[in-house]
Amino acid sequence: MSIVLYQLNVSLIADAVFQSISIEGMFFSLTDDGDESLHDHEEGNGSKENFREQDIYLPIANVARIMKNAVPQTGKIAKDAKECVQECVSEFISFITSEASERCHQEKRKTINGEDILFAMSTLGFDMYVEPLKLYLQKFREAMKGEKGIGGVSVTEGLGEELTDESFANQLPAGIITADGQQQNVMVYTTSYQQIPGVQQIQFS
Amino acid sequence: MSGNKVEDNVDHASNSKGISLPMTRVKLIMKSSPEVSSINQEALLLTTKATELFVQYLALSSFLNGSGKDKNTLSYSDLANTAEETETFQFLTDILPRKILVRDYLKSLEENPVEEADN
Repeated sequence: MSIVLYQLNVSLIADAVFQSISIEGMFFSLTDDGDESLHDHEEGNGSKENFREQDIYLPIANVARIMKNAVPQTGKIAKDAKECVQECVSEFISFITSEASERCHQEKRKTINGEDILFAMSTLGFDMYVEPLKLYLQKFREAMKGEKGIGGVSVTEGLGEELTDESFANQLPAGIITADGQQQNVMVYTTSYQQIPGVQQIQFS
Repeated sequence: MSGNKVEDNVDHASNSKGISLPMTRVKLIMKSSPEVSSINQEALLLTTKATELFVQYLALSSFLNGSGKDKNTLSYSDLANTAEETETFQFLTDILPRKILVRDYLKSLEENPVEEADN
C-alpha cells in the first residue's frame, strides 16, 4: 500500500486510505507547524470567518456534466478530478469577483455590474472570454425582450481550439414568450446558432 | 409568470438560456467575498456563463495535457500539472498542489538534506 502526500512547501499530509476529515487530524500530528490546512491559503492564520468562499461549491453533478461534455466522448474523468474542479470553480468565481469588486469600489459604486466582470476577466487573463460573453449577453437581452423566439448561442468562435462546441451546439433550450404573455419552454436541437425560419414551436410531450 | 425579483429572473434564465449552473449558488459564492455589497443581474449572468466556459477550458486543457499512464482519463495530476504550466491557471496552484509519494519525498530529502540544527 502506498501513501500519497500532498506537498505544501515543507508540510506533509498523509492521505490514501485516510479520507477527508481524518486528513486534517493526521496532518496536525505529523508536522511541527500545524497552522496550514488544506484549504488555508489566506494570510491570517488566526482569523476564522464563518463562511469562507472555499467552502461553498457548485453542485458536483453540474460541474461533472460540463466537464464530461468538454472532453472527447470516449474520455473518462477521475472522481478526484471532478471534486478538485469543483473547488477550482469556487476559486475562479471569487477571483473574478474580488477583482471586479475592487474596480467597483475605485469608481465609488456599490453594485458590481456586467462591465466590472468583463473588465476583471480581461485583467486576469481570461480576455478570450470577453467577446463571446458580450455576444451572449446581447442575445440574452434580445431574447428577454420577447422579440426573438430562440435563445442560446454558440460562443465558441472566439475561443480557439481549446473548447469543443458540442456542449453549446447540441441543445438549445429556449424560452418562448408568446404574445399573450405565456411562456413555453421548448427544446430546439441545432448544430449551430442560427435563426430557423418557420420553426416557432416544437413540442415534446 | 416570473415574479419581479431578480432571483426569479435569473433562475428562469438559468433554465432557458443554455446555462447549466445554478445562479443562486454562484451568487452565494460571489457574496462571500469580502466587501461585496451587491451584484446586478448582468454581472451574475456573465459570471455564471464564464464559469461554465472556465470549467470546459480547464477540463479540456488538462485532458489534452495528460501525461499519466491513462491518457484517456482526466486525473487530478493532469489538473495540477496544467495549473503549474499555464499562466492563466496560476491562481489555482495553491489549491491544486502536486501529489508525491512518501518514498519519493524521503528520497529527495536524502539527496538534498534539509539543514539540521545538530549538524
